[in-house]
Amino acid sequence: MAAVCLSEAEKLYIVHGVQEDLRVDGRGCEDYRCAEVETDVVSNTSGSARVKLGHTDILVGVKAEMGTPKLEKPDEGYLEFFVDCSANATPEFEGRGGEELGTEIANTLYRVFSSEGSVDLKSLCINPREHCWVLYVDVLLLECGGNLFDAISIAVKAALFNTRIPKVRVLEDEEGSKEIELSDDPYDCIRLNVDDVPCIVTLSKIGYRHVVDATLQEEACSLASLLIAVTSKGALTCMKKIGKGSLDPESIFEMMETGKRVGKALHIALQKILDEEESLGTTRQKVGFLG
Amino acid sequence: MPLDHRRLQGPDESQPPALWAGEGSGPRDPCALRPLFARAGLLSQAEGSAYVELSGGTKVLCAAWGPREAAEPGGGTAGGGGGGGGGRLVCEFRRAPFSSRGARPRPGGAAEREAEREAAAALREALEPAVRLARYPRARLAVSALLLQDGGSALAAAVSAASLALADAGVEMYDLAVGCALCRDPGHPSGAWLLQPGEAEERRAAARLTLALLPALNQVSAVLGGGRGGDPESWGEALRLGLDGCHRLYPVLRQSLLRAVKRRDAAHTPPGS
Repeated sequence: MAAVCLSEAEKLYIVHGVQEDLRVDGRGCEDYRCAEVETDVVSNTSGSARVKLGHTDILVGVKAEMGTPKLEKPDEGYLEFFVDCSANATPEFEGRGGEELGTEIANTLYRVFSSEGSVDLKSLCINPREHCWVLYVDVLLLECGGNLFDAISIAVKAALFNTRIPKVRVLEDEEGSKEIELSDDPYDCIRLNVDDVPCIVTLSKIGYRHVVDATLQEEACSLASLLIAVTSKGALTCMKKIGKGSLDPESIFEMMETGKRVGKALHIALQKILDEEESLGTTRQKVGFLG
Repeated sequence: MPLDHRRLQGPDESQPPALWAGEGSGPRDPCALRPLFARAGLLSQAEGSAYVELSGGTKVLCAAWGPREAAEPGGGTAGGGGGGGGGRLVCEFRRAPFSSRGARPRPGGAAEREAEREAAAALREALEPAVRLARYPRARLAVSALLLQDGGSALAAAVSAASLALADAGVEMYDLAVGCALCRDPGHPSGAWLLQPGEAEERRAAARLTLALLPALNQVSAVLGGGRGGDPESWGEALRLGLDGCHRLYPVLRQSLLRAVKRRDAAHTPPGS
């Protein structure tokens, strides 16, 4: 991951600031940076979103393709995650450099979405055992400015909200052969219910306290963080310690409580923005990448 | 299609053998730990080694190699490794092709490799806080875990075995990392958590959690869980149960380490003296 070099004095300054609930950029310990969310930014996808959280810039594209259901779940579609660490973010990602981080993030996303009910997979089934929709969720890291996981999860949720899958019907003739018919109307499509899609909240332990949405500088001061996936109802679907350090059991309990509280607020804010954008309709002026 | 009865001479009705075998009797105690067998220093070629077996079938063999000069000084490749002046801990996790129930996965297949790499990363994350990496600048320490049989709670057993192997290799450590796994039974009315689930329990679990604890320091070195676990209180309860389990496993691991040292001592002193 993009690393910053901090002197001991700078680290001490950040740690002391966090102890006083005042961070370098003026936020409190439980405040997020200002986030920009825009959906439907790439026209070649079924759904896309771009999220800018401070200096972290994430682009997510969802493509729906037809595939065969997995053997163990014949009446469900599935999601595939791929994370691409672009060399634009940091020169370390050039070539195969970003692969390790990419697979780590993808694995975390699989784990976060492993809970049944986060996305209604049954609605992705076209006909059991033969055809289903596979949603390829491709995450592109354009810029790393700390707190990658949270930004990615927000972008994935926004992109899934934006996803429109064309409606298809299965026609069966007398001989039992099946035919798939695509609806003529391009606006005739299914939307996913994203109410239960979790968001990741990463809590970084700095000194005796923990902060949400750490910047790169703050991440350099933190030895261990706890990653929590929270649904809008406050249920946890994933929990993971990241970093080289260890955590006190008591602080883990505190972090879980904070994570739940912050996560719920995050969901409400995100849903409000997404609904607002939706209400603007198709004539909305797109900001895109030059905004 | 009509069945050919001349070739298939079975009864008309059949039941799965699992119905008759029956796994234990009645609901088990959620706080019960599976008996653990640990032995350190059993491989002659490795600098440190350990074998951990949980009753019910999980068997993990671990080997550790002490500090070697790192190929790239400073350590820390992009995104991984140690860096920061200290040494690097390189972990490997392998599953034997015959380790799990059911179909044999193709060794070296993409999915298998991916799963192994994820487990190796989890193993490194659990062990790194326990090892005094700052004492080994510009060096690399290697740990390799081989899962011989997966009977549930495999990663937790691997964490315990790997920290035993590192200690057996004489690597400076703050403490042993003790692993413990939990899962949440969907069938249970209150959705209670079970300690150290078996393979069957793990397969049908609604949520799973693997913990690693450094008991002497009371520091949690790894938390890795997912699934429909409910609100933070429920996960907190699981955490408490798991930490308690780790504390109870700790003496067993320490004993095995002591025994290994005594055995080695006895081998080095000539019988006459």
